[in-house]
Amino acid sequence: MQNLTFFQNVKAYVGFNDDASAALREAHPLVAPHFAAIIDDFYDTIEAHPGARAAITGGAAQIQRLKRSLLQWIDETFRGPHDEAYFQRRARIGRVHVQINLPQMYMLTAMDRIRVQSVDVLRVAPALDPATARRMITALHQLLDIELAIMFETYRDDLLAKNRTAERLATIGQFAAGIGHELRNPLGVVESSAFLVSRRLEQLHVGDPSISRHLEKIVAEVQRASTTINDLLELARSKPLKRRPIEAGEFIAQAVSAANLPVAVDVQVSAPPGTILDIDPDQLSRVLTNLLINASQAMGGAGHVWIEARREGTRSVLLVRDDGPGIPAALRGRIFEALFTTKAKGIGLGLALCRRIAEAHSGTVSLDPSERGAAFRITIPDAAPAGAA
Amino acid sequence: MLPAKRRILIIDDNLGLAENIAEILEMHGYLTEVAVSAEEALSKVGPPPPDVVVTDYRLPGINGASLVRHLGGMGMQVNAIVMSAFTDEGTIEDAKSAGATFLPKPLDFAALGRLVQA
Repeated sequence: MQNLTFFQNVKAYVGFNDDASAALREAHPLVAPHFAAIIDDFYDTIEAHPGARAAITGGAAQIQRLKRSLLQWIDETFRGPHDEAYFQRRARIGRVHVQINLPQMYMLTAMDRIRVQSVDVLRVAPALDPATARRMITALHQLLDIELAIMFETYRDDLLAKNRTAERLATIGQFAAGIGHELRNPLGVVESSAFLVSRRLEQLHVGDPSISRHLEKIVAEVQRASTTINDLLELARSKPLKRRPIEAGEFIAQAVSAANLPVAVDVQVSAPPGTILDIDPDQLSRVLTNLLINASQAMGGAGHVWIEARREGTRSVLLVRDDGPGIPAALRGRIFEALFTTKAKGIGLGLALCRRIAEAHSGTVSLDPSERGAAFRITIPDAAPAGAA
Repeated sequence: MLPAKRRILIIDDNLGLAENIAEILEMHGYLTEVAVSAEEALSKVGPPPPDVVVTDYRLPGINGASLVRHLGGMGMQVNAIVMSAFTDEGTIEDAKSAGATFLPKPLDFAALGRLVQA
């Protein structure tokens, strides 16, 4: 479903129109003095419930950040404008809730806290005639229900995409192990025969450029086939995670080197010394390497890539941005699905593998909104301390 | 130059691969012999035993790690290298516990060259 149609649909369904939008704007100065109290209540309630609290892994620092975001969110709720851009932004927020695995029940109950508190403020607002108060309260109900509809719709979309991927991976897995191993031996024969032929030609002092070119092609194509097989086999099995603390700069340097990028791809790294990542470096470097190779290919082998590593509370965050053509809006929701690809060469395993590895770390890999090029964000929470539930 | 010609027995049920491995090792000055199963290898091990055994893990019949254990049981202390396209922990662990070095497929021939020298 196109998002545009979806927003227009739900707005029309609940009857949220320009008058309702205006009523909320009028209500803004009445509720604004209570925003801080509403937000405190919101997070106190989350902290009091283990199931909801589990979605917050960054401790007090994260809650402070989230409170600032919620303030902006509530402010915008009343202030509007409730235009297309507004709903697009809200859909992104809904998606974040999916990514952090917040159960849907807490979306409802948390929204209820905001609803009840805001309605209470309007009910007892001095010098507000009952008809105006009713208009404001109705508009608020309408808008918050639209917000919930957006969250559920995004949740459903993401869940369906995840399930499609899981099903495909399971199917791929069954075939991959058998076929992959069967193909490795013949490829090994082709590769070693090509090597032996080239050695034999050297011994015979045959320097024929055409023969050399064909041998190079054989070796290059065998290597490409081997890479595909390796990707398949990695998808087919989940390796146990071996986390260890590693300096971000060192980790990134290794991954960049493994990506073997063309010289015309300029890589800028920002990783302050002392930025320690709690990750499985072998597995996560596959993620970074895949993103770098994708970026390079998207840019036609020439351009800029920026990699940034930082800590956010108890999470490690890696950002990978390029100045290539970016990812068309229509495809953004599907790029992490297995067997989905935009490349002429490639079978669509790279990003599915990235997602799988990030999820094995209880983390996420996602696409950030970007003006230019593609921007990927890898978020990896630290391992729960030993003995924690 | 190598001080003496060392003997290497190569076992892989893919004869083409076994022959190519043999040819590459011969270029490095080794004497080689090829078998396509552990059973065939056992009929070719000597005495005197080869200096090095390079075997695939998955073979029809006895697997590569068991072959290495067999050789140990026969009192043959050989440098053993077990190769496999199956790089799961079970396979690697089985090879190592038999006293062999594990080498993943597709083969890195430079690594194989270093291992047979050891």
